[in-house]
Amino acid sequence: MEATNGKTKAGDWQNFERILLPPIRDLHKLDVYEAEYDGYQAIQKVLKEWEPGEVVNEVKQANVRGRGGAAFNAGLKWSFMPPKGDRPRYLACNADESEPGTYKDRQLMEYNPHLMFEGILLANYAMQMDACYVYVRGEYVDWIDHMERELEKLYAKGYVGENIFGSDFSTDIILHKGAGAYICGEETSLMNSLEGKRGYPRIKPPFPAQKGLWGNPTTINNVETLAHVTLVMRHGADWFSGIGAPTHPGSTIYGISGHLNRPGVYEYPTGMLITDLIEKVCGGMRDGKKLKAVVPGGSSVPPLHADMIEGVTMDADSLREAGSMMGTGGMLVLNEDTDMVTYLRRVNHFYQHESCGQCTPCREGTGWLEAIVTRIDEGEGNLRDLDLLIDLCDQMEGRTICAFADAAAWPVRYTIERFREDFEAKCKPAVFDTGGVTISA
Amino acid sequence: MSEFDIKKPVVALPDMDPEPQIPEEDLFFTEEELERIEGFTEKYPTNRSAVMPALWLAQEKFGFLPPEVMKLVAEAIDIPYAQVYGAATFYTQYYKKQMGTYVLDVCCSFSCQACGSYDVLDYLEEKLGIHAGETTEDGRFTIQEVECLGSCGTAPMLQVTNGPYVHNLTEEKLDQLIDDLRNDKMPPFTSVTMPQDEDEMGGNRRSDVEHTDTYRTPPAPERWI
Ligand SMILES: Cc1cc2nc3c(=O)[nH]c(=O)nc-3n(C[C@H](O)[C@H](O)[C@H](O)COP(=O)(O)O)c2cc1C
Ligand code: SF4
Repeated sequence: MEATNGKTKAGDWQNFERILLPPIRDLHKLDVYEAEYDGYQAIQKVLKEWEPGEVVNEVKQANVRGRGGAAFNAGLKWSFMPPKGDRPRYLACNADESEPGTYKDRQLMEYNPHLMFEGILLANYAMQMDACYVYVRGEYVDWIDHMERELEKLYAKGYVGENIFGSDFSTDIILHKGAGAYICGEETSLMNSLEGKRGYPRIKPPFPAQKGLWGNPTTINNVETLAHVTLVMRHGADWFSGIGAPTHPGSTIYGISGHLNRPGVYEYPTGMLITDLIEKVCGGMRDGKKLKAVVPGGSSVPPLHADMIEGVTMDADSLREAGSMMGTGGMLVLNEDTDMVTYLRRVNHFYQHESCGQCTPCREGTGWLEAIVTRIDEGEGNLRDLDLLIDLCDQMEGRTICAFADAAAWPVRYTIERFREDFEAKCKPAVFDTGGVTISA
Repeated sequence: MSEFDIKKPVVALPDMDPEPQIPEEDLFFTEEELERIEGFTEKYPTNRSAVMPALWLAQEKFGFLPPEVMKLVAEAIDIPYAQVYGAATFYTQYYKKQMGTYVLDVCCSFSCQACGSYDVLDYLEEKLGIHAGETTEDGRFTIQEVECLGSCGTAPMLQVTNGPYVHNLTEEKLDQLIDDLRNDKMPPFTSVTMPQDEDEMGGNRRSDVEHTDTYRTPPAPERWI
């Protein structure tokens, strides 16, 4: 493949050639991946010619920002691993993908699993890991079976296991099937789950790089992040950082859903205009309805009002400025018929259901958020409930073991702030009893 | 005086010694199954980590995980029963009670909600005469309302018994599904094609799957929640 392939700034997205999911028939099979896509060339080159530390630096320089939600520079995260000692070291590949609105990793695992496997080998070499555990959500059985078959081929050919590719480096890849718990996508919960415990997040510090899986140094990365690592090591950091948004480079997989003519999983450079994604990529709003709201990165990120999306692009910085976040890049688009109270009620139900229950503000707070929004949705709430909700958010954010409570509070805070008219329309006017004289506000 | 009575806990405690639900003569793992479980333990530094794959195996065999099966798993991987119980009760995909032969997990998280998942739920409930969370009298179907299954572009969708996904649901598709399941015909694995593949390579890129679907959106829902 030409090294210039895929090179494009987001403005030129019409000419973008896909790099993670290129149009190659049967790319998910090992022989095709090797024959038509330069598969497993990068790892062989790296094993021969690169020092582990150099790989870390290259990935850091490429600025591969984590695609699992926090958009943290992957190479920088890798550099936090302590020097190799006697203790075993692990990579965990996060394929738990349960954030509502997110379904991109599944397409990657189905169409190009070897890109992820090669990325894992590269990461394992760079950080001298003994093994990588791939934590896949339990619902994805069909995809796990399929990856299991491909992984067997890799072991059979000596690409994984003892002395991979004839080098003196040995490393394992193990697929682990979850069993239905959103919280296991949180990195420390994922580790507890892998250890066979209940999926309770752990207090940080100690951070996983110091004390992770079974008490040993561990790094956690998302599926798509690791797939990008393969591309970086194949084409170089400069090539990679020349694609997409300068501060959040590369391509990304957008999983777009909602009231659109053509929703779906698309690969495009980062930094696409939200309006382009809606109008040009997804064929506009269904039934010619007007746009009401965009939730750009999964249910946890603050929703954007239709008035707020002009000129906003899909990268961490632009979205932060606009008042939201990139999250997982799973974008939900809602039309004018949507009642944001009902929307919020269902989002709250999700968090109430998925809270692991360790921290009181989260366990109790998510329940109260749902109860109060339900009350408003049923026409029984009043305006003061909105203040009560914001007060609850204040008491949840930043006061818990993991970021789940924040993720549960943000949608509430910002949906109320940005779609207040929907809430007001459903609230009963506040009535104060002043001893005979009734004043309504 | 308060009404508090120590003998009456606020939350009902689980039955500590329930009647076994799996007949004693069936309650064992075969040699081959024990070997597979042994294989699980080898993949991790500790036996305890094998609890999830072992529970999956047990659920496939027994259909669900009553306490006696959890105890069997605990023995097989040599960890305390309490640890198995703790894990099994944390994850929703492990069935702690007997379910219908076919469990219809209707995704109702926000993308599906916005595309009519509650219409789907209503339709199924009416068709099978049960509510979400219940099992039909003949023991064939259970309906559940579940959280995001990761197929938001084909909303509304459902999963059959922790297995195949059924995408882009319509009433006709649900009728067909129920008929098929009544004849024990499971829906096939369906690959959903990327819109870019449809434009650039005519749709299905996989020569090894027969059934494909496309991402699309149904009309706005009648019932939102
Ligand atoms: C509540 C919660 C749920 C999360 N779920 C996921 C998930 O499903 N998949 C994922 O890749 N990261 C998820 N994350 C982020 C991970 O904790 C972690 O940051 C990420 O896997 C790191 O990978 P990256 O740096 O490659 O993005 C979640 C975080 C939180 C707080
Ligand atoms: S914030 Fe919520 S999900 Fe996270 S550890 Fe606390 S209770 Fe569990």
